[in-house]
Amino acid sequence: MKKDTGKYLPLIPVFAVYLVLFLMGKNMSGMWQLMAMLLFYCALGQAFNIFLGMTGYVDFGYVAFMGVGTYGMALSIVHLAHYEVLGAWVIVIGFIMAILFSTILSLAVGAVALRLRGAYFAIATIGVNEGFRFLIEGARIWNGSEGLIFMGELNQILGREAASVLATFWADVMVLVIAALAAAVTLVYMRSKIGYALTALREDEDAAKVMGINVTKFKIVAFVTSASFAGLVGASTWALKTPYVFPPEVFEIHYTIEAIIIVLLGGAGTLLGPVAGGLIYGLSKYYLSIFLPGFQLLIFAPIIICIIVLFPEGVVGMLKKRLRDTALGRYIV
Amino acid sequence: MFFELLAGNLIQGVFLGAVYGMATMGLSLIFGVLKVVNVGHGAFIMVGAFITLALFDGLGISPILAIPAAFGVGLALGLFFYYTVIQRLIKAPELATLLATFSIGILLEEVIKLVFGSEFRGYNWVVGKIDLGITVVPMSKLYAGVGSVVIAVLLYLWFNRTRAGSAMRSVVEDSEGARVCGVNVGAAYAWSFALGIGLTVASGVLLTMFIPVGINPYMGGGYTLKAFVIAVLGGLASPYGAFFGGLVFGLIENGSYTLFALLPGVEPFALTRFLSFMILLVILLIRPTGLLRGK
Amino acid sequence: MALLKLEEVTKRFGGLVAVNAVSLEIDAGEFVGIVGPNGSGKTTLFNVISGVFFPEEGRVFFEDKDVTRLPPFKRAPLGIGRTFQIPRPFASASVRENVAVGAMFGVLGPEVNVNESLKIADQIIERVGLQEHRDKQAGTLTPVEKKLMEIARALAMKPKLLLMDEAMAGMHPSDIDGMVAFIKNLARDEGIAVVAMVEHIMRAVVGMAEKVIVLDQGSKIVDAPTKQALEDPKVIEVYLGHPPEE
Repeated sequence: MKKDTGKYLPLIPVFAVYLVLFLMGKNMSGMWQLMAMLLFYCALGQAFNIFLGMTGYVDFGYVAFMGVGTYGMALSIVHLAHYEVLGAWVIVIGFIMAILFSTILSLAVGAVALRLRGAYFAIATIGVNEGFRFLIEGARIWNGSEGLIFMGELNQILGREAASVLATFWADVMVLVIAALAAAVTLVYMRSKIGYALTALREDEDAAKVMGINVTKFKIVAFVTSASFAGLVGASTWALKTPYVFPPEVFEIHYTIEAIIIVLLGGAGTLLGPVAGGLIYGLSKYYLSIFLPGFQLLIFAPIIICIIVLFPEGVVGMLKKRLRDTALGRYIV
Repeated sequence: MFFELLAGNLIQGVFLGAVYGMATMGLSLIFGVLKVVNVGHGAFIMVGAFITLALFDGLGISPILAIPAAFGVGLALGLFFYYTVIQRLIKAPELATLLATFSIGILLEEVIKLVFGSEFRGYNWVVGKIDLGITVVPMSKLYAGVGSVVIAVLLYLWFNRTRAGSAMRSVVEDSEGARVCGVNVGAAYAWSFALGIGLTVASGVLLTMFIPVGINPYMGGGYTLKAFVIAVLGGLASPYGAFFGGLVFGLIENGSYTLFALLPGVEPFALTRFLSFMILLVILLIRPTGLLRGK
Repeated sequence: MALLKLEEVTKRFGGLVAVNAVSLEIDAGEFVGIVGPNGSGKTTLFNVISGVFFPEEGRVFFEDKDVTRLPPFKRAPLGIGRTFQIPRPFASASVRENVAVGAMFGVLGPEVNVNESLKIADQIIERVGLQEHRDKQAGTLTPVEKKLMEIARALAMKPKLLLMDEAMAGMHPSDIDGMVAFIKNLARDEGIAVVAMVEHIMRAVVGMAEKVIVLDQGSKIVDAPTKQALEDPKVIEVYLGHPPEE
């Protein structure tokens, strides 16, 4: 019993950071937006880490899951707004649709791409977001390249006042909840057979197979989990905060890049890494955009290269090594 | 009427395909020798496009002369990135080289953006047209297609007729064996990477001769995806496979565009891009070693 | 009933025949040495048995079940374990976690949870004498420790058949005797059939194997009790017929 509660101690620092961000945003005037942005990056990192960090596979099309999640929410609002009985449940249905869409897309992509090894997988995914975007635009699905705009529907469902509070407050709270959930799921995976299987296949896929691990199955588990969190992030930050969807925006590879930077910066495959990465990335982006607007990527690209070459373990990875066998070490995984 | 249009587009597809093939050889060469997937491939093509633009607009130098210039710049960039980054990651997990080449691509885009800005540009090289009976082809496209074939042949001769070329080939086939036979594998890696980047940057020139508008720091992304489709068509590790993959792809792209344009209620350009992605997935699924390989 | 049975198994790579119509039987609890020079097809044969490659021709049976086209991850739970020529630890995980993976996905897999697997791992780690290194990252072990860890990891699977690829290669001669005695005891105590693959007919193999199978250029040329096999003129030809610099 004692041992089992000890297993989940590493969630304490993660949740503590999230709580501090929330309280700072809520109580210090003018800070909410910055805190919300930091939470968004932590959530993004936490979600992507479940796949990139735990399997060692790079999904260059990750943003596609955020994109279809956004569409899941948007379509629910657009199509269900006139059913007055549903009321605010439309938003709940929207989140379910977001999970559904991202799960279906990740199963479809995963079924093909996760049979492939390392580099071939990365190549297969590099076009997923663009491919999906061009499918939507080319076949004029979901209003094609004109996108969906649903400010009116949102106001109709919730009333103007509540819709605005949703966009400026509750959507961000939802992101916080997603980040915390993703962290909890990460730790549950780490402590279960799934985590052991993922570590094994990340380190040596052939040896893992011979050890009896159904590598494709576990990769798909990680992929789908990670994708559905991405779908939720998309649904809350993009669809609820800015009530419109345009294909070129929600399938923009830029967000995949940000997710990769966050995970690597913090330490791939660690629980606390995405938090550290999200904070460092979010804060530096925020201040760079004030002092050196437009140069964020110019500065971040060489930083990623340096991390990969010099500190492949990331901030938390190094910390974890230092603190192995110490009392603090139990809190950092 | 339709068949004339299709035939005309397919002829253009052959020229375009040759350029695509040439633009993919560098990717395949690097993968074949170093087992590194250059995810920043398109950015190097973009650098070639800007070299053309700068030489033509700034100094009035013909794009044809920009080819060797771009090749030289590419060699230098290749050596620089090999010794600063790639060499240190050869033994690291695949994740590392994928992310590193990806980041190199972003770096190039941002540096070019800093220098040239991010608006779309183009240049106007007037060299006339040639009437091939079914279709009229601008001379610049003809030069680009023929230039690509010439470069591919030169590469073939270099691989098969020179000492350095055959050393590099031996590394592709068996790096341990090559080491035993006295080939300096480290140098072969460095020069293969440099050669691959050189070819890629040079191909950027040829692409602008074909499509002289739409030069922009972020133009490379689309070409990276196309190059992967083409490389996978040709077996990923073989530069010649890539060249023929390019020809096939050029035909598919122009042919499918012509067909999609007949469908009501769709955007043919976007569907063509979607199709190329589907081709990539399907080939990877059924035959990851490439369609054009024997056996 | 033979534990493992190969019927006319052939594996080709392009034009090269790596394993040529090999048939063999291994009984439960038996200790067999597979001997053959470099390139004789030993590792390919192991890969066919553990499912890394599927043969073009022939069939593989494990406990009378046809496993010819069974993927490797389904063979391990049946009781086929293996170690690699060059150890392949899950480098970032601790020794304990590495060994626990064996318990989690091997024969015991469906019955044990993570905690039980870790307990099994602890017992086996003690058995192979790695308890001091239990919490170290596997990547930081010495080569000999890595070999021991791989053996522990394979044992944690509770295999009925253990394939050992060059278990003694690169070990100090003084360690080899100990290792051989250790494996032999282990196999006897646990009732595991061990197939040890070695490049050269070492004293060690002679000491432990009940049966020796000799491969040459992909074909089985000898399959006999150890003493008899060693006197076979074909074996002498394979080993002494080669010029010494090979």
